[in-house]
Amino acid sequence: MSEVRLEVKNLCKSFGITKAVKNVSFNINKGEVHALIGENGSGKSTLTNMLTGIYSIDSGIFVLDGEEIHPKNQVDANNHGVSIIVQELGTLSGLTVAENIFLGHEERFVKCGIKNTKQMIKEANELLHSYGFDRIKAQRMIDDYNFEDRKLVEIVKATYFDPKIVVIDETTTALSQEGRNELYKVMDKIREKGNTIIFISHDLQEILDRSDTITILRDGVYIDTVKSKDVSEEDLKRLMVGREVTGDYYRSDYGSKVSDEVVLSVKDVSVPGLLNKLDFELHKGEILGFGGLSESGMHEVGKAIFGASYDRTGSVKLSDGTEINDIPTAIQHSIAYTSKDRDNESVVLNQSIMDNICLPSLDELADKRHMLSDKKLRDFADKFAKDMSVKMVNVDQFVSDLSGGNKQKVVLARWIGKDSDIVVLDSPTRGIDIKVKQDIYQLMDRMRKAGKSIIMISEELMELIGMCDRIIIMKDGMINGQIERSESLDENNLITMMV
Amino acid sequence: MNSSAVTMDQRKIEGSLRGYLILLLLVVLSWGIFKILTPHNFGSFNNMLSYFQASLIASVGAVGFYFVMVMGMFDFSIGANIMLSAIVGCVFATKLGLGYVGLIIGALLCGCLAGLFNGSFYVKLRIPSMIVTTGLALIYESVANYIAGGVEQTLPAGLRVFGQMPGDIILAIVAFIVAYVFLNYTKIGTYTYAIGSNEFVAKNMGINVNKYKVLAFILSGGFLGIMAVLTISYGSSMVAVTGMASMSRNFIPTMGCFFGVAFKKYGIPLQAIIIGEFIINIIFFGFIALGAPTAIQDVITGFALLIIITVTTKINKGEIVK
Repeated sequence: MSEVRLEVKNLCKSFGITKAVKNVSFNINKGEVHALIGENGSGKSTLTNMLTGIYSIDSGIFVLDGEEIHPKNQVDANNHGVSIIVQELGTLSGLTVAENIFLGHEERFVKCGIKNTKQMIKEANELLHSYGFDRIKAQRMIDDYNFEDRKLVEIVKATYFDPKIVVIDETTTALSQEGRNELYKVMDKIREKGNTIIFISHDLQEILDRSDTITILRDGVYIDTVKSKDVSEEDLKRLMVGREVTGDYYRSDYGSKVSDEVVLSVKDVSVPGLLNKLDFELHKGEILGFGGLSESGMHEVGKAIFGASYDRTGSVKLSDGTEINDIPTAIQHSIAYTSKDRDNESVVLNQSIMDNICLPSLDELADKRHMLSDKKLRDFADKFAKDMSVKMVNVDQFVSDLSGGNKQKVVLARWIGKDSDIVVLDSPTRGIDIKVKQDIYQLMDRMRKAGKSIIMISEELMELIGMCDRIIIMKDGMINGQIERSESLDENNLITMMV
Repeated sequence: MNSSAVTMDQRKIEGSLRGYLILLLLVVLSWGIFKILTPHNFGSFNNMLSYFQASLIASVGAVGFYFVMVMGMFDFSIGANIMLSAIVGCVFATKLGLGYVGLIIGALLCGCLAGLFNGSFYVKLRIPSMIVTTGLALIYESVANYIAGGVEQTLPAGLRVFGQMPGDIILAIVAFIVAYVFLNYTKIGTYTYAIGSNEFVAKNMGINVNKYKVLAFILSGGFLGIMAVLTISYGSSMVAVTGMASMSRNFIPTMGCFFGVAFKKYGIPLQAIIIGEFIINIIFFGFIALGAPTAIQDVITGFALLIIITVTTKINKGEIVK
C-alpha cells in the first residue's frame, strides 16, 4: 500500500458567486505522478493554486505528510516543500536568470544585507548544468532568452530544492517536443527520488503515458480517482464530460474538392529573422494548416497575414486586390486572428466578457448617431458567449476570472460575432479540454461548410491532420513542404518535413 | 557551449559599451552644438567641470528616485521634499547648533520621513502615487514654510563645504556608491526590478510588495535629502515656497531618472543618470551662454530632451508604452 503524501480534505473555493471548488477530498501518494484532469473550469488550477499559496482557501485543508499546511504564497509553499510550474510565463523580466531562480530565497546569499551575487550566479550555473541546460547562463538577463528557455529556468526554479510535491500545470502545451522531453526527464527524476508530481494536462494520451494515478474533477466537484493502467482515453473522456463523447472528433470527410476561388494570396512575405519569402494561397471554404517546430516561424505567419508583423515585406492580398498591411484594414475586410499568447495578445483581462466580445463589432452595434445601447451589446455578447458555451456567471464577469479554455471561447465568440470570412487561428486548442476541443473542431467544420476560410496554426500534428484540407510545414522561416488531406496521412509524414 | 558563453558575455559587454558610447556621443553632440554657436563663453574644460559639478546635485536625487520609478510609481513631491529637507537640515545645523552633522542628519532624516509618508499613504490609501505625492507636496511646502517662518534660510559660509569641490564630489560619490550597492547587491535591488516587472508574480514569490514600495520611497527620500544638502550648500540658501511652486525642482531629477530607465537595458542605469544629468546641464548652460530668453530655453530644452529620450530608449516594435 502506498504512503499518503497529501490529503485534500473538504476543500472549497468561490470567486464571487462562482463556486470553483466544491467540497473536494482525495489523497495523493508519495512517489507518484498524480494527474488532475477535467474540463476547463473544472477547478484543477484553482485547487493547485490554493495548494501553492496563489489563492487563499475558503474552507477545507491540505495535509502534507500528516501536517496541516496553509501556504500564504509560493515561497511559503516552497518552504513547506510544494512548488509549481505554471502554464504561462512565470519568470520576471529585468532580473538575471540566477535572480529568477532564487527569487524569494535570497537569504542564504545575503550577509549583513549585502547579496553575494557571485556565489548566487555560481550556484545557479551549477544547477543549470546539473539539469543539462548549459546553454542558459545564470548571469544573463532572463530577457535574453526565448519563451522555451525561460520555461526551462522555471523548471529549475521549481524543482532544484527537491520539493515533496511539484505541480506541473499545463506546462507541456507551452513547450516544443524537445522542451517536453526535458520536462519528462525532470519528472522521472522527481519520481525516482520518491517525491510526487501533480500533473495537469488536457492531452489525455500524455496523461495516460506519464501518470500513475488520475483524479477527475467536473464543475469543481470530485468525480473519481483511477489508476492510469486501468483506464482508456474514452473512459477518461466519459468521466470528464459526464457522458459519452459522441460524434466525430475531427472531420470525417476525405476527398471533397476545395473551391478554386482564391480568397487570399500571400506573395514573397518576409519578416526579418522570422519569415523568409513565403508564398501561398488560401481558397474559399478551405482549412489550411501550418505546422512545424515551435521556432519554425509558423506563429509569425498568422501575424503577418493579419498585418500585425513589424518590418513585414511582400504582399498579402485579398481576392478584390485589397492589400492587407495593418490590423484595421484586416478587420475591416473580414479577417480575424486569435493569437497563441491568449492572455497578452487576445483578451483584455481586466474587462468584462461583454467588452471583449463586442470590441471589434462596435461599429456594427452602434446606431446611426454612433451611440451604443447597453442592451444591444449585452444581447450580442450573451448570444455568442452562450453559442460558445462559455462557463460564466453573466457577461459582466471579468475575463480574468475565467479559466484558460473559457478565455479562448470568449476570443472565438468575438470573431464569430464579427462573422469574419477569413479566420486565422494560432493554437486554438492550447490548454483546452477535450469537450471544448470537439466544439471548436465542429465550429471550424461548420464555418468551412459555410464558405469561410480558415488558417489553423498548431503544434498538435493530429489536429492538423484531422482538420485541414492542406498542411504547410514550416522550417527556419520557410515553407519546407506541403501535404494534401488524406486518410493515409500520419504524424510521421509531417515530422520528416519538420526536422 | 563555451563559444555560446563567450558570445553572450561579449553581447553584455557590447551592450554596456554601446550604452556608454551613445551617452558619450550625446555629451559631445550637445557640447559641440553650443561650442559652435557660442565659442568664447561656453564649453572650456573648466566650464565643463563646473557644469558636471552642478549636475551632480540633481544626479543624487535622481538615483534615489530611480528605485520608485522602476517599480512603476511616480513622485510629484520631489521638489517639496528637497525644499523641506534643506530647510530642516539648515535649521538643525544653525539654530540647533549641530553643524555639519545636523545638516546631513537633519536633511537625510527629513527626506526619509517624507519618503515614508509618501510610501505609507500610497500603500494604505491605495490611490495612484502621482495623486498621493501631489497632495503631500502641498503639505511639505506648508510645513517647510512654517519651519522657516516665512524667512529665507541661509547656510553660513562655514557650513558650505558640500557646495564646492571636493566636498560635493565626495558626498555625491558616496551617494552613488550606496545606490549602486542597494541596486546590485541587496534584495531591495532585486525586488525593485521584480515588482516593476510583474507585481502579481512578485507577490506570489513571497515578496512583501507593499513593504518594498514603502522602502523604495524611503530610499528615494533619503537621496533627495542628500540632494537637499548639496542644493543648499551650492546655493547657500533656501526659500520655502508654497502653492506647488516647488514643482519646478522636480524637472531635472526626473529627466535624469528617465535617462536611467532608458539605459536600463544596457545595464548602466545609474551611470546613465549621472551622464544624463550632465547632458541636461550642458544644454542648460549652453542656453545661458547664448543669452537665450527663458521661454525659448525651456521650449528647446524640452524638445531636446524628448528627442534624446526617444532616440536612446529604442522601444521594441510592438512594445506597449504608457
